[in-house]
Amino acid sequence: MDVNLAHWHLLLNHFPIIGSIVALGLFLTSFVGENEDLRRASFIIFTGIAFLSLGSFLTGFGAQAMITGKPGISDALIQRHEGSAMLTIWFIELTGALAVVGLWQYHRMKRPAHWTVAAVLIASILTVGLVARTGNTGGEITHPWVRANPAAAADAPVTEGPIGSMLSAFEPTPASFTSFVIDNKWIWAFLMAVHFIGLALIVGTVGILDLRMLGFLKQLPMAPLHRFMPWAMAGLAANILTGLLAFIGQPENYIYSGALWLKILFLLLIGVNAGVFYLTGIFNRINPLQAGEDAPMSARLIAVTSMVLWFLVITFGRYIQPLSNTVRLPGAAGPN
Amino acid sequence: MVVPAFFNTIEQSEFSIWIRESPSFFAFYFILLFHTIGLSMVVGANAVVDLRILGVASALPLNTLKRLFSIMWTGLAINAATGVLLLIGYPTKALTNPIFYAKLSFIALAVIFMYRMKLLFDDSSLSEAVLIARSKTAAVLSLTFWVCAISAGRLLSETYKYLNYHQYLMKQGGS
Repeated sequence: MDVNLAHWHLLLNHFPIIGSIVALGLFLTSFVGENEDLRRASFIIFTGIAFLSLGSFLTGFGAQAMITGKPGISDALIQRHEGSAMLTIWFIELTGALAVVGLWQYHRMKRPAHWTVAAVLIASILTVGLVARTGNTGGEITHPWVRANPAAAADAPVTEGPIGSMLSAFEPTPASFTSFVIDNKWIWAFLMAVHFIGLALIVGTVGILDLRMLGFLKQLPMAPLHRFMPWAMAGLAANILTGLLAFIGQPENYIYSGALWLKILFLLLIGVNAGVFYLTGIFNRINPLQAGEDAPMSARLIAVTSMVLWFLVITFGRYIQPLSNTVRLPGAAGPN
Repeated sequence: MVVPAFFNTIEQSEFSIWIRESPSFFAFYFILLFHTIGLSMVVGANAVVDLRILGVASALPLNTLKRLFSIMWTGLAINAATGVLLLIGYPTKALTNPIFYAKLSFIALAVIFMYRMKLLFDDSSLSEAVLIARSKTAAVLSLTFWVCAISAGRLLSETYKYLNYHQYLMKQGGS
């Protein structure tokens, strides 16, 4: 099947930039008069952006495969953009993870701890700076007129300004990631072991919450049960980390697999489902449920959706390999 | 090491070939999928009980988690069944790899602790405090053994000596 990942990349790549800037704006404004509502809103956006950025980041590898070697496309500019993205993604995910910690503290205590606020502040400022560079360097690939030297030939080396040359020292080269993840089979096995332990943690904790809402484990009081949620989040964080590393290590094994893109799609839908659960008041309605009390229909729908989506994520995760040659990227030199 | 010839008999059986090579959606990767689902059921549910014993979600009455044991046994049954199917697909690959035996040992140890914990849960004369005090060590060991079992499982595809009996013969001939 043809999938135009360059198109998807163009659709998704604006969210991390605009979203991070908007969230940082709200977050900074929240310091005026310690506005907790505004701060919580910024944490929610940071979390959403961390999720959505997975799509922006991963589709970039597909877009790269599609345009590399095309007339007027500079390989050096692509490499620079890719290096920038590979540095930025960790800061986006870190900001999102810290924001989730902050949201948990809003839930458990009245407001997040000072260290959480300080950590989000530092991480989000770095994120916005880095994401701006990733956006700029990406824009220059296909918009020649914004380049420093629009007339430069496509194979001209990249010239950096003072900030760019400083940052590029920290930006990983794609090849170094590949050799890190792939050349040593022990590192690969370690990544996969962590990925499966994270999976078991998520399925255990989230699955039991879902079963409780569906009425199968009704004797469990809801609020105490929900205290397992940080362990699910730890599993998710571990799996985003190890999943990204595995992907970056050998993108050509993934980008032509229809299963990978379905897995990512369903993972993003899990984010949507969780967003509906926590932000529309459904969670507030079920959290006080005592032993034996039934969850409302809305919560049951969320629970069924969650279970089905996690099942699909695991299923398509397992089918990445056999379906590794099912997607045709128009113009790409890869499989098919 | 001498690899018994009946591994070859298994590998050449129609069923073994079907598991390995059939393009059907329900062959190898489907079995592997349910091996993963079973894993997440047994390890996930057991980890929740272990964590509760170690102090997470301490407001949750411990005896309400008794029903999670049926999820664990179901997961274990799924994995025993799918594990046997995978073994029929690749007997030489699994049984010539020492890590495979390590994996089975870790699972056996984890299941022993799971069963002992179940017996404690079933003993209604034990108060929650006593139950927790008596299963803290078991909870730590259980988590450790499951982590080791999963890690050993993940290592299998990186460490096998012979993919199949044919490869074993070839390597014997070459040396």
